[in-house]
Amino acid sequence: MTLFLADKVDKLFPGVRALDGVTLKLEAGSVHALLGENGAGKSTLIKVITGLYKPDGGRLVLDGSEVQFGSPHESASAGIGVVHQERNLIPGFTVGENILLQKLPTSRGLVDRSAIRTEAARWLAELDLDLDPDQPVTELSVAQAQLVEIAKALSVESRVLLLDEPTASITPNEAERLFRVVAKLKNDGRAVLFVSHKLEEVFQICDTVTVLRDGASVLESGPLGDLTRDQVVDLMVGRVHEALALPPRTVPAADPLLELSGVGTATGHADVDLSVRPGEIVGLYGLVGAGRSELAKALLGLDRITAGEVRVRGQAVRIRNVRDALRNHKIGYVTENRKEEGVFLEQSVSRNIAVTVWDRLRKALGYVPAKAEAAMVAEYVEQLGIRIASPAQLAGTLSGGNQQKVSLAKWLAAKTEILIIDEPTVGIDVRTKDAFHTLIWDLAANGLAILLITSDLPEMITLADRVVVMRDHRVQGEVLNDHDYDTMSQRVIRLIHAEGTTAA
Amino acid sequence: MSAPVSETATAALQEPDAPIEAPQGGRTPWWANQRIGLLILVVALSALFGVLRPAFFNQQLVVFPLLRDIAMFTVVGLAQLCVLSIGHMNLAVGRMAAFSMMITGISYDLWHFSLYAGLLVGLVAGAAIGALAGWVIARTGVNSFVVTLALDFLLLGLIPLVYTALTDNAAFVTKPPGMRELRNYSLGDVCIGNLCGSPAVPQLTLFAVIAMAVVGWIYSRTKLGRELLMTGTSVKAAELSGIPTARRVITAHAMSGCLAALAGFMLAVSTGSIKATIGEEFMLPSFLGPILGGTLLAGGFISVWGTLLGAALSSVIRKGLDLLGVGLESLNIYLGLILLVALSTDRIRTVLSDRQGVRKR
Repeated sequence: MTLFLADKVDKLFPGVRALDGVTLKLEAGSVHALLGENGAGKSTLIKVITGLYKPDGGRLVLDGSEVQFGSPHESASAGIGVVHQERNLIPGFTVGENILLQKLPTSRGLVDRSAIRTEAARWLAELDLDLDPDQPVTELSVAQAQLVEIAKALSVESRVLLLDEPTASITPNEAERLFRVVAKLKNDGRAVLFVSHKLEEVFQICDTVTVLRDGASVLESGPLGDLTRDQVVDLMVGRVHEALALPPRTVPAADPLLELSGVGTATGHADVDLSVRPGEIVGLYGLVGAGRSELAKALLGLDRITAGEVRVRGQAVRIRNVRDALRNHKIGYVTENRKEEGVFLEQSVSRNIAVTVWDRLRKALGYVPAKAEAAMVAEYVEQLGIRIASPAQLAGTLSGGNQQKVSLAKWLAAKTEILIIDEPTVGIDVRTKDAFHTLIWDLAANGLAILLITSDLPEMITLADRVVVMRDHRVQGEVLNDHDYDTMSQRVIRLIHAEGTTAA
Repeated sequence: MSAPVSETATAALQEPDAPIEAPQGGRTPWWANQRIGLLILVVALSALFGVLRPAFFNQQLVVFPLLRDIAMFTVVGLAQLCVLSIGHMNLAVGRMAAFSMMITGISYDLWHFSLYAGLLVGLVAGAAIGALAGWVIARTGVNSFVVTLALDFLLLGLIPLVYTALTDNAAFVTKPPGMRELRNYSLGDVCIGNLCGSPAVPQLTLFAVIAMAVVGWIYSRTKLGRELLMTGTSVKAAELSGIPTARRVITAHAMSGCLAALAGFMLAVSTGSIKATIGEEFMLPSFLGPILGGTLLAGGFISVWGTLLGAALSSVIRKGLDLLGVGLESLNIYLGLILLVALSTDRIRTVLSDRQGVRKR
């Protein structure tokens, strides 16, 4: 039974046809995948369905009758729940309050706390979640918060659930749990829309698929079982996608640029030994919460280092902050938190890239010559293939892939020699991901020392020369990468779950 | 330049068939430009008041003091703009002016400084008290609203104490030579050969012009201005991009204090007295100019021209209603209503342009 239908939906922005006669059909008791590269129109479609945008053509049909939503509130009341890519929980509130936010139970005009507790507990039980409704959401892990968001979306009695990249920032184990929840929702007869860049997941949990390309649906509600992974990728990119072939690269014998010995931090790391040589990519792998990003931040002086020694180019150093790392040690950090820490969304692309080089460009009185700045920016826009109309464009108007290029560009522009790259391809489409891998590979070939933090095991195995495995803020061991997925994944996973700390 | 991006990588990164990600709709239409809307409003209201009361265009009695007010409130607005640029507020903007003028008054009274030496001392004092506020904020991480509010109370108590101790009538009476002239001189007194300026434009406006030029230059042309705006957009991202955010917070507040001192000086000159109550009426108007002009409360975007236009709008409304014989209380009601309408139309404009997929600014 078709629960929801978006029929030949058009959405026009001045000069751009963002959606061009897109049809999306969601069946009760089925999980439907919505695929497409960044900028293909997935987010626009979701915004049209939830009433954030008004469609310029076509119609929305819910349960057999045509509907029009003027706001996300109206679509929620009609039974369409959505979990956005961004976290939308309110930090000061409890799990229960967040779940029931859209219709808090009240008694005599006051919020009824016991009703919140029982009601929220019901939704948590519905999803088999073992969480306390009274717990503040700030204590939740990313994955738990994700599940609470689903509970929140369900709490409006929704029969249609839209999940926009729910697995972008959680580990495979946590994703498995999410999938069990999705399976349960499906068995309950709900219609689920699943947006993801991870095709393995899509094939694992989805029944049917719609593929968007350039605002049009190139495949409408096809059964996934009939397709192979390669066919889906080809549909998305509109051409035959070849597996990434990287040229051979050898790490020159040299002293490490960056070396940690016995490092302990205020965030709980102990006895961390690590070294990165010029031209080498060292992968730092571990589950979410293993303390990898925290280690990077401590290295940059954002957290205190309490024990051990950090050596840069052989010299013991104490790095005070990012500015110190950049100016005195030529260390750059591409953050995993692109939207909040990596890119200034409300500033121009030009300023986003030039931010690290004003020191170099400035003349007397701090004057920054516009021409030199523009030339420098143009160079990196060109080299990294950042697709923009003008450098004055706000970075927030770009897709994730382009934003990531901007986030990386400022460190290349600053001519750093040691680059710490944290989760570079989260939420980025297949083709751009390949381009990033080529770029990172190539930066190393040009002599940069790269510390790569990623939860994406295939990515790690593609790129790293050595993989250092962390657990609970300690180094579990190190694996020399043979770039063979089967053997490597086994060795890495075994290390993660090994008792004690022994080198492999 | 030798970037470490090789041709292989560049080739891989080029996606010639990927769409150029233009902001949807391209250029902002002119009607969505806040500054142009303001300019039209200021001109239209002036014309309306002029038709209703031809005296509105009287050079000596109306235009001269009106321009003096606009100039002063522009500088007050710029003082607030500096902290708004990093997403902060300065609730002590008026009291900082009073504090600086107190120091200036002391320099005239006790040390017999010249007019401009006294101004300089005042500017330094303003920058110092602003820097102090900034330092406390950066050091403690307490919200700027709270810190400047506390500082405001502190100065509110301190300043009258000093005045009582040092003066007889709660005002510094020593006037350096040139102060009275500065109050009344217009551009009509500035001549290059036979070409003189307009007698309707007070010389005091030059201070506002200089302040606008300096602030505008800092924000549009220098590393400091860019770093302040980046800090305002996202402190986290700024810190992680190597911007010394704590120092920028202190700089912004110091600039704010310095401009507050300049506004205090302009007020002292135009009223002819240096007393404890200087700057009392600065705080609310200090937000009006920048915000009407499009400066973001949240930080990251400023408009110097907008601040001038915003200050002009509120001063024109005030003066016009005054001429129409509206009493002081009702004047404030009308002023409030007109400003509410001005801000709402602006909001409506933003929503309309957003709905068309056009980005603000």
